[in-house]
Amino acid sequence: MRLIRSAALAGAVALALSACGGGEDIEAEAPEPVAAEEAEFEAGSTMAELSEAGEMTIGTKFDQPGFGLRGLDETPDGFDVRIAQYIAAQLGIEADKIKWVESPSSQREDLIVNGDVDMVVATYTINDKRKERITFAGPYYVAGQQIMVKKDDSTISGPEDLKANPDVKICSVTGSTPAENIREYLASPDQLVTFEVYDDCVTQLENGQVQAVTTDNVILVGYVAENEGKFKLVGEQFTEEPYGIGIEKGDTAFCEFINESLEKAAEEGYYEEAWKETAGAYEGTEVPELPELEPCA
Amino acid sequence: MEFLTEHFDDFVNGFFRSLSIALWGAVGSLLLGTLLAVFRVSPIPVLQGFGAAYVTLVRNTPLTVLLFGMAFGVPGLGINASFYLFGVVTLILYTAAFVCEAIRSGIATVPIGQAEAARAIGLTFGQSLGLVILPQAMRSVVPPVGSVIIAMIKNSAVVGAAGVGSDLFSVYKRMTSALGYAPLPVLTAVAVAFLIMTLSTGALLALAERRMAVAR
Amino acid sequence: MTGSESNVASTGRRPLVELRDVDKHFGALHVLRSVDLTVGEGEVVVVIGPSGSGKSTLCRTINRLETIDSGRITLDGRELPAEGKELAKLRADVGMVFQSFNLFAHKTVRDNVTLGPVKARGKSAAEARKKADELLERVGVANQADKYPAQLSGGQQQRVAIARALAMEPKVMLFDEPTSALDPEMINEVLDVMISLAKSGMTMIVVTHEMGFARRAADRVVFMADGQILEDAEPEQFFTAPRHERSKDFLSKILTH
Repeated sequence: MRLIRSAALAGAVALALSACGGGEDIEAEAPEPVAAEEAEFEAGSTMAELSEAGEMTIGTKFDQPGFGLRGLDETPDGFDVRIAQYIAAQLGIEADKIKWVESPSSQREDLIVNGDVDMVVATYTINDKRKERITFAGPYYVAGQQIMVKKDDSTISGPEDLKANPDVKICSVTGSTPAENIREYLASPDQLVTFEVYDDCVTQLENGQVQAVTTDNVILVGYVAENEGKFKLVGEQFTEEPYGIGIEKGDTAFCEFINESLEKAAEEGYYEEAWKETAGAYEGTEVPELPELEPCA
Repeated sequence: MEFLTEHFDDFVNGFFRSLSIALWGAVGSLLLGTLLAVFRVSPIPVLQGFGAAYVTLVRNTPLTVLLFGMAFGVPGLGINASFYLFGVVTLILYTAAFVCEAIRSGIATVPIGQAEAARAIGLTFGQSLGLVILPQAMRSVVPPVGSVIIAMIKNSAVVGAAGVGSDLFSVYKRMTSALGYAPLPVLTAVAVAFLIMTLSTGALLALAERRMAVAR
Repeated sequence: MTGSESNVASTGRRPLVELRDVDKHFGALHVLRSVDLTVGEGEVVVVIGPSGSGKSTLCRTINRLETIDSGRITLDGRELPAEGKELAKLRADVGMVFQSFNLFAHKTVRDNVTLGPVKARGKSAAEARKKADELLERVGVANQADKYPAQLSGGQQQRVAIARALAMEPKVMLFDEPTSALDPEMINEVLDVMISLAKSGMTMIVVTHEMGFARRAADRVVFMADGQILEDAEPEQFFTAPRHERSKDFLSKILTH
């Protein structure tokens, strides 16, 4: 335990512009954690293995703007990616030694359990059901339900405005938790319009059939990003979805190492910087603080 | 079945929402379907052509395609209305094609002599149709049109998927998905609700058939 | 072929129905060939001929239940209008009695008779009803007024059909084989009504096989075969001394029994 901490501290990370990678990459503009050169870990620990190998495999989303989105480049980018890169750096692993694996929501536990990835950082909500199969470090971020409206619309500036504007229709996915959560803010159930997928809600927002769309801010950020200049987020997050980092069940040491890395990232300002350059680049998002970490059980 | 006690209001609301979709759908499609059938048997070629083209086009298009075409295509043209209205209109447009054909088949069962006699006493085309042909066609039209209407009531469940947030289908999705009730009891309740609609329609049809059988 | 006009001229009647050079095809079948026929006011013309001779078609062209390919048909001096309100008006002036009665199956006997006057003539229901009851009395089915057609015998139905046509106060009555679908014992009850109608001065064109009726009631007999009018004569002359070979042949076949 002490050894781990000292090793991690020894590999103090400074934020610096990356010297490697293509000059025209967006990546190049972003701060990259510098790998800890003298990382040393207790023999047999996950950290020691990874550190020795000098490379690791990380699962993230490839289709989530602001969090994990892979463009033409091989390497995805986003807040999740930056957090993962920081943790890797604490193990002495350079950004270009990370192998990224796409991890859609339905496959995340399996990827971890089967050992296909060393960790998953993929807008991964901590819950008890998932904890039965894997262990979560973090949370490193608390997502929450928010409202998206057209960029030029000022009628709705938060969920509280829905009751006062009964003509406003708000869209979410049929039978989803966000659709359920918004009900208490409605003047009548008829204000809620539901479709099978959020894409349909967004189309209807453009069509003027609905005036707002609600779900997790993370998903909404994606739509704001995809439809540049058309939409914005309004109001505060009114639910809490803590995002954790998924690792093999019971690897407490690795969990604690990750948590310490997260705290360090916050202290150094890397956390806030990473947010601002990724998900935080979109209007209406709140700059988060590192949430209180859960103890690694 | 605890969802029934815990969310009885939502369930009843969903029932009446679905019922109103089905009722308007039935009224609208019967009227439009009859009009289309009149077009198809009219002596005016333009109307005949329109009726035939409409039936061919609409009858051979899946309902969901029409529904989403309405819910997404029409607003895309700058025409906004409630999804409830879009849903009901789609249901009417779709079902009317089938009602038209059922009525047309009924018209074909009325002997040609009836139309000739009507014309021979100086009735216009509209009068012959309205006073002589259709009233007689109705008798043989009731069973096939009844089937079309019952099918429509069941089809109305699909309308919920296109934005109508509070019908039975949406209530089902909400109960099982967001609120986490077991699907089978909820589905059973939804099925019973639809049965109430379809069975009472069937009973009305049987009554109508009996009354028409007497009247001749 | 004897010109009908000469006949009309001799009787000095005002022409009510005139067919001039009327042609009609059913596909390849030439059903009416250059037919000329004039029927004067108050005249009773019986059209006879073998089946397929075109006599029914001829009858139906007069109220345009069949359209014609060429030629002219005038009623009371006016040419038949094309499809529409005008034609409906004209048809109201032409009574028609069908072989298969064609009573409106969903209406009572009385309603069958009042429908036309109320809907096509715009008469009040009460007026139409009064007239209907008179006519039903006249054709002898007054006691059946509230029944539906299916509850009546064929002969009764056909008499109702005649009342229905008369209710329109037509200028001319067309009868398209009115007794052909009847059981033999019912034929006379219908013919009696027709004979009394003829005697009352109604203009009638009657397609029939009833030679007795032709002898007793007709002013003229028109013989058709292969879509042509071959003979047009007074009944006495036609039945005793037919001029055309086809007429003789036809008469010999139906009169031997």
